[in-house]
Amino acid sequence: MAGLGTLLRIVGSPAASILKNAALINVSPITVASRKASQWLPDEDYIKEYKQPVLYSKEVLEDDFVGFPVNLGSVVPEKTVQNVVLNFGPQHPAAHGVLRLVLTLNGEVVVRSDPHIGLLHRATEKLIEYKTYTQALPYFDRLDYVSMMCNEQAYSLAVEKLLNIEIPLRAKYIRTMFGEITRILNHIMSVGTHALDVGALTPFFWLFEEREKMMEFYERVSGARMHAAYVRPGGVYQDLPLGLMEDIYEFISKFGQRIDETDALLTNNDIWRMRTIDVGIVTAEDAMNLGFSGVMLRGSGIKWDLRKTQPYDAYDRVDFDIPIGTNGDCYDRYLIRMEEMRQSLRIIHQCLNDMPEGEIKVDDHKVVPPKRAEMKESMEALIHHFKLYSEGYNVPPGSTYAAVEAPKGEFGVYLVSDGTNRPYRCKIKAPGFAHLAALDKIAKQHFLADVVAIIGTLDIVFGEVDR
Amino acid sequence: MSKTGILDKLNVFRQIIKDNGGLGKSIYVWYKTDDMKTGDLVGEDKFGNKYYQNNYYFFGRNRWAIYSPEKHLDYDASQIPPEWHRWLQYISDVPPVGDGAPPRAKWMADYYENRTATSKAYVPYSTVKPKIQSWSPNQS
Amino acid sequence: MATLKLFCAKKSGENLLKNLVRPTSIVQSRSHWKDVGQQKENMAWNDIALRAAKASFFTEIMKGFGMTFAQQLKEPATINYPFEKGPLSPRFRGEHALRRYPSGEERCIACKLCEAICPAQAITIEAEPRADGSRRTTRYDIDMTKCIYCGFCQEACPVDAIVEGPNFEYSTETREELLYNKEKLLSNGDKWEVEIAANLQADYLYR
Repeated sequence: MAGLGTLLRIVGSPAASILKNAALINVSPITVASRKASQWLPDEDYIKEYKQPVLYSKEVLEDDFVGFPVNLGSVVPEKTVQNVVLNFGPQHPAAHGVLRLVLTLNGEVVVRSDPHIGLLHRATEKLIEYKTYTQALPYFDRLDYVSMMCNEQAYSLAVEKLLNIEIPLRAKYIRTMFGEITRILNHIMSVGTHALDVGALTPFFWLFEEREKMMEFYERVSGARMHAAYVRPGGVYQDLPLGLMEDIYEFISKFGQRIDETDALLTNNDIWRMRTIDVGIVTAEDAMNLGFSGVMLRGSGIKWDLRKTQPYDAYDRVDFDIPIGTNGDCYDRYLIRMEEMRQSLRIIHQCLNDMPEGEIKVDDHKVVPPKRAEMKESMEALIHHFKLYSEGYNVPPGSTYAAVEAPKGEFGVYLVSDGTNRPYRCKIKAPGFAHLAALDKIAKQHFLADVVAIIGTLDIVFGEVDR
Repeated sequence: MSKTGILDKLNVFRQIIKDNGGLGKSIYVWYKTDDMKTGDLVGEDKFGNKYYQNNYYFFGRNRWAIYSPEKHLDYDASQIPPEWHRWLQYISDVPPVGDGAPPRAKWMADYYENRTATSKAYVPYSTVKPKIQSWSPNQS
Repeated sequence: MATLKLFCAKKSGENLLKNLVRPTSIVQSRSHWKDVGQQKENMAWNDIALRAAKASFFTEIMKGFGMTFAQQLKEPATINYPFEKGPLSPRFRGEHALRRYPSGEERCIACKLCEAICPAQAITIEAEPRADGSRRTTRYDIDMTKCIYCGFCQEACPVDAIVEGPNFEYSTETREELLYNKEKLLSNGDKWEVEIAANLQADYLYR
């Protein structure tokens, strides 16, 4: 204000005085007194004095006088400048759970993103060390809580590998079928919320209607809509109820249309394309080095899918294609997810057609509890029952790593057994963890709004990241 | 039974009004359930809840309950007794009327709704004798 | 890096390298791969004009509007809970209940298998012989706030005493109301036995 006053005094034109009055009265009537009786402002003459040496004494000058600064206004105080740090989450709806992201922003551009995890840490790995092999199973439902049965499958495969048992063919087909239902379940969640995050609300609602139907299948087969505890070491818990396969057939014959509807809304939509194409590009080299798996890896054009490269359960008996991307951006990964859903329908269809008859568990009652009718009649079966439900079964010492192609990527279980009824160590390899760890690399130099799209395409679920 | 034309729609509407017992009662039902439907009365339980079915509506909406008028707006999903719960939740297709009524033993308790937030709410207590008896000076 | 180049679909000369390596590789033959990624846009004049027309007339947006409008004419997929309810199966795992024999005698014999198998350690049992000499529980507590509804207790029970019933509408106002004791569980059983028995009967082939 003082500077402006000086300027106006020097210029002194009537137009400027109008400006002066207006500026002083309108802008800050409190800080600047309108009468200016107590205020002194440097005028032109005063400033002129300091353009030349002023009155001084010789002694002072010779000793330590440094003189006045030549330019009064040119002293710039030093300031530290730092970027804006923004907290994203843990309550942000686009954070997909409890992701706390500390974003360092340069304007609207992200220069550093620092994911803070652990808000959903439940010490699953440690808990499992104190549970029998049977008891550890329900914990796997709760890891990646949108693809429940795939996690159980990974654990069951690991235990079966240690026990060295081969499950019946029907159980393999049931597992495969429900694994693929789970894949659709997960991709619906993934694509739906991804679209929701970047602003397309509708596909989310359409797809969740279908998701509800699939959770009914879960409920009919296991009794729980989500946390099924259905896939067990040695097979599956119960046989498929009558009529379920017909209803699944009915569902998959219609679900293709639902995918097409979503496809029509999103795939060629300009807004969706602008928000996803060339956003979050991961090169093939990066994808390998960062330990990606699943869609994140295939989106970059790397041909890797555990269902093909090391088939488990009945995947070597069904015919399906693995979609591969080219650019490694969010759009390609979205296309892959859509195509994977269609391929899952193919697999389910084949499983329904080829579903063999027979047992759904191994016949070894040292591992798998006998049927109830048998248990109520035979003493031996009753003893097995009691033994299995109290002490559990012993697993021969050794260690193994079993991995499945979960919808999010490679979900692995590294199991160390010391020969007792409880695992010595159970390390869980969650795909989401590696994907989230790479967020800093992927999201660098993207807009803040693109971070949301990238989180959506990473498809992270905090149950498995935090474990 | 094609119900696509305007006249058909009006006809259905008229039928709904008629089945609900007049315009006033229909509006009351609408106020209570946010919905106006017509269907066959399948049965009524001893609490006065009425159960309807109409397969014209899609699976999931084709069976419904109208809660007892005594409860007015204090209806609650837990007011449905187990026999009808089984039918209403599509576990069984046989309604518990006539031959479908399940056998009851003498010891089976009468159903009551979820009593939380009332004075009759369940309060946990220990069902065993305390392991430690406190000493009182009057005892020897 | 050499292996990386082998895996990479985009790299040229891939087939040559792959054919060289294939015989010694243990990896299954890879035939079922399908490139669904976004393809390069065709730069012929026709296509450019087509794209320009699409962009200027917002055809895709209009298509989306049309689809969402068509959806409005369809019947809504929502159901009007609590008047209408969604489907359940006989296997549904809901609120726990302790059952009785048809004579009215309680089934639980305090074998404590459910207590042993419970992964969340939600069940507490104490037992002592009753006046008539039969072994019964004196305490059967389930902490429903700990329970993870895995269904292991009903699998473990050799006499079908503890079951997870079909009821899921037992929400409570306070937390302590979820600490069920034996009386509560038995009264649940007495209330729901009609349906529990029918559900077990419906599922007996699979159990």
